[in-house]
Amino acid sequence: MLETVKLTKSFKDKKVVDEINLYLHAGESVGLLGPNGAGKSTTISMIASLIRPTSGDVKLDGKSTIQNPSDLRKVLGVVPQEIALYEELSAYENLKFFGKAYRVERERLEVRIQEVLDMVGLKDRQKELIKTFSGGMKRRINIAAALLHNPRILILDEPTVGIDPQSRNHILETVRELNETHGTTVLYTSHYMEEVEQLCNRVYIMDHGKIIATGSKEELMSILSSEDTIGVQLSKRSEAFTDKIKTLPDVLQVEQTKEGLRILAKKNHNLLSNLVHAAEKEGIQIMNYQVEIPSLEDVFLHLTGKTLRD
Amino acid sequence: MGAFIYKDLLVFWRNRKEILMALLLPILIIVILNFAFSGLFMDEKAIHIDVAVVQEDDLKKGKEQFAAAVEAKDLSSQEKNAVLAEAARIDPVQLIHDFLNSADMKEWVTVKDLSEREAAEQVKNGELDAIIKIPEGFTDDSLSRLLLGEPSQGSVSILAEEESREVSTLQEVVHNFVNTLNMQFALGSKGFQASSEPVLPQGGKEVVEGDDGADAYTISQYFTIAICTLFALFMAQTVALKTITEKREQVFNRILLTNRHPLFFLFGKTVSAFILACMQFMMTLAAVQLLLNVFPDKTITFWVGLVLVLMAFALTVGGLSALFTALTLHLSDSNAASGISTLIIMGFGALGGSFFPLEGLPEPIQKVGEWTPNGLTQTALIEWVQYSHLNDLMFPILFLAAVFIISFAISVSIFPKRGRS
Ligand SMILES: Nc1ncnc2c1ncn2[C@@H]1O[C@H](COP(=O)(O)OP(=O)(O)OP(=O)(O)O)[C@@H](O)[C@H]1O
Ligand SMILES: [Mg+2]
Repeated sequence: MLETVKLTKSFKDKKVVDEINLYLHAGESVGLLGPNGAGKSTTISMIASLIRPTSGDVKLDGKSTIQNPSDLRKVLGVVPQEIALYEELSAYENLKFFGKAYRVERERLEVRIQEVLDMVGLKDRQKELIKTFSGGMKRRINIAAALLHNPRILILDEPTVGIDPQSRNHILETVRELNETHGTTVLYTSHYMEEVEQLCNRVYIMDHGKIIATGSKEELMSILSSEDTIGVQLSKRSEAFTDKIKTLPDVLQVEQTKEGLRILAKKNHNLLSNLVHAAEKEGIQIMNYQVEIPSLEDVFLHLTGKTLRD
Repeated sequence: MGAFIYKDLLVFWRNRKEILMALLLPILIIVILNFAFSGLFMDEKAIHIDVAVVQEDDLKKGKEQFAAAVEAKDLSSQEKNAVLAEAARIDPVQLIHDFLNSADMKEWVTVKDLSEREAAEQVKNGELDAIIKIPEGFTDDSLSRLLLGEPSQGSVSILAEEESREVSTLQEVVHNFVNTLNMQFALGSKGFQASSEPVLPQGGKEVVEGDDGADAYTISQYFTIAICTLFALFMAQTVALKTITEKREQVFNRILLTNRHPLFFLFGKTVSAFILACMQFMMTLAAVQLLLNVFPDKTITFWVGLVLVLMAFALTVGGLSALFTALTLHLSDSNAASGISTLIIMGFGALGGSFFPLEGLPEPIQKVGEWTPNGLTQTALIEWVQYSHLNDLMFPILFLAAVFIISFAISVSIFPKRGRS
């Protein structure tokens, strides 16, 4: 229902978003992952019609939204990365203002405000001023404000940044409920891999303004299918042994951990015996040997060479 | 639209510091300036003077002398009778007494009748500040001068132990009075009254200008008008600069996403600034009037005129606010926007005479200043206080409305139709 076609944005001469193609099917929940400065927020702002793309298009049901974004805005809810609320107003007053701005009809609005407050679990705090709220509560109201007009598509830009676990769980639950029971299409941006793993059917991974991988969780994992991550528990630490492992055939990376080593290697049936052999020579016992199930984090590391949170 | 205005007003209302700045500070400043300039901080005694009137003339003898002088004149008996009848009605000594005891004089002069010796003694030991001496032959002398046009010989003299501001004021006032007296007779005005208005510092209020036919306006009135207009200018900025926060915190984006035409945002700011400026005027005027009675004994018409001009000015404030708002969204650098608006406001304030009267400045600067919205408002209102000519309000009101329309039109044209590019 919503797609971007070669969406590009340059600030001065710097390409911040570079020919991005992504799509959202109705009812899907899609994750957009990327390290700091990857261009996620810029992409979202272009999709949301807030900034004009340098080139490329954003289409809703096949129709370009660049010239006239009003049809898109009607069905779109956007939760910006910043807290876009009036600090001096109460939660209720904020929702009332944005609801009126959305032209939600008066009586309907009263009901809807209570509904969205209920969804984010802040119904009993609605009279309090936003500036007295904790970061997590602000973020929850920030989401509530994007739901007033019952959007069919919801875009969230890092909605859980820097907040307490309780608020975070609440937000994740809210998004899941919107997607699963209300059929809202979700585009979810985050630094937290596990949130995306938990919420999204499909993931885009972005770096340096480009989409570098996409697919369902399983599809992304299969990128790593030719490699294994192996955790090895050793009886003692030895630099010499670590160096030796690095020289073994098909070993790509060796990292020292608390218990022993973490090895990234191409699939190789001889690895275990090579390892045992080397250990015997150094007088080290192998206490445990485990091929780890790769996580998205590993995929991310593999693709970008960096961890999500730096 | 209503939602936008309500939001702006509510945000303003929640900001205690701004309320104090915008609504209480002007009142405070006017009150302080009023006290500072009205002499209430001066010693009460400083504007009071104790005088003795030493009466050496004998009324009856004077009248007889005058009658004898008239008889001796070379005039027809008809003319002589007319002059004598006139003379019977006038008592120059009494006129001086009446004048000294008139309400205006009583406020700062206490008079008692004493003999010359007693008076001289009291002046010496400091009980009295001055003596007004009505010399022997004053009646005859005055009547001859007034009715026969003969050259004057002796006149009222004022004696004091030491020269002071009060004594010289008294001297001036009394001589003024005597001159007025002569003048009125010379002009043939028969219905002479003792209470011919002296031009004086009244009740300690400094009076600024007070020329031909105009009511004088007081320094407090000047402050009230100047401070009101200046703070309304600040209001334009206060309301507009909220936009910086709204832009930074992406609330403005959120508003754009509601699919409202972004100009609603601009209208909201314009109307809010207008309403707040009106509120500011009402509150300041009401408070200052209650506390200081800045505009005493004014008619309903006066107040209506005042309110009309101030509302027109509030409209201009709305227009300026729109301009600053549009500028803030137009320029990517918010500091630049706030810098420009501060510059405009301070420029208007200084040129328009809101900080200090323009009288001392070179002519061209004064001329420019008169064309700033606040300068024009100020001039118009001060003239309104003085002359109360309804027609004179027409031009300023139209001019202010025009400034509003122009600045609003500019705002709309530079207002980004789609948020950031
Ligand atoms: N208005 C702008 N002018 C110039 N450069 C910009 C502008 N907005 C963003 N950028 C640059 O574009 C790049 C991408 O920014 P963007 O905010 O889209 O990244 P992000 O993926 O959302 O990062 P984060 O995880 O920190 O939110 C950054 O290098 C940023 O400095
Ligand atoms: Mg971002």
